[in-house]
Amino acid sequence: MSVFLLLLVVVAAGAVLSVQAAINGRLGQTVGVLRSSLLTFTVGTVVTGLLIVFFEPAHAVSLLDVPKWQLSGALFGVVYMIVMVGAVPKVGTAVATVAVIVGQLAMGMLIDNFGWLGNPAIELSGSRLLAMACLALALVFMYRSSARQA
Amino acid sequence: MPAILGSYRFLNMQASSLNEAASVTTASRSRPILRWLLLPLVILAGMGLSVEAGLLGPLGVQVGHLWATLSIFGVGSAILFLLLLLAGRQQGPALNELPRWQLIGGFLGPIYVVVLTLATPHIGIAMTMIAILSGQVGKSVLIDHFGWFGATRKRVNGERWLALALIVVALVLIARG
Repeated sequence: MSVFLLLLVVVAAGAVLSVQAAINGRLGQTVGVLRSSLLTFTVGTVVTGLLIVFFEPAHAVSLLDVPKWQLSGALFGVVYMIVMVGAVPKVGTAVATVAVIVGQLAMGMLIDNFGWLGNPAIELSGSRLLAMACLALALVFMYRSSARQA
Repeated sequence: MPAILGSYRFLNMQASSLNEAASVTTASRSRPILRWLLLPLVILAGMGLSVEAGLLGPLGVQVGHLWATLSIFGVGSAILFLLLLLAGRQQGPALNELPRWQLIGGFLGPIYVVVLTLATPHIGIAMTMIAILSGQVGKSVLIDHFGWFGATRKRVNGERWLALALIVVALVLIARG
């Protein structure tokens, strides 16, 4: 798959994610974050399981064969959720959102640059840094426009 | 992660669950010192999301993208189940009393995680994150502007279009390397 096509797919996934966030936000408000998350995860597990049963080809390596640290991804997600639930009321939505994005991108750059966790190393180039600057500016504009509408 | 995942990634500051969670308590903003102590914690939490994505990509290559996705949802479900048991009685209506469409989130979540495992080995984690962000911002701007999905049509101001344009520029820059 070409990089460009892949990029489009990821952008679409971002759109799907924000639809999901909006739906889950409402759900979380009525039944609580823990229950709404558990519901989402359980349905996600069942759906993924069904897809595996019918569509996934056999692999030589199974989840039980890989080093255990490779399975720790979900822990980061749960910690994230707990931190956000605790911090957002105190620091505000906009600040928390920007802080998360800063953390995501900084860590993303580090992992890419050094090839941590078994990822291919992608060197931090000038255009990547410029991209960061554009993004920072975009966040400033988003923040200003939502601050004005609030 | 989707729930979380879900919760994680939104730039859509108007429709997000974070926003709603915050609106309840905006009045009780804490002292500045506490805010500055919390901020590094939130940044660390965001870094965790990239670590998660970084773990997913190579895992998906080894065991298959759907299996990698299952590891996230399976482990996440198990942990959340335990947390819920420990947390005791929850307020609000029972899950089976909710409108059915609110359960769609669970179906959308796997799409996101599968795409994550597919994309990160090819385009890198930072670029994947930026692409996700532009999808989130783009979606909110377009839905507001055109009134899709029954949303009230409202004028999207210049700053948000500009933000979207800047994110697209960032994408192009990273795509070119």
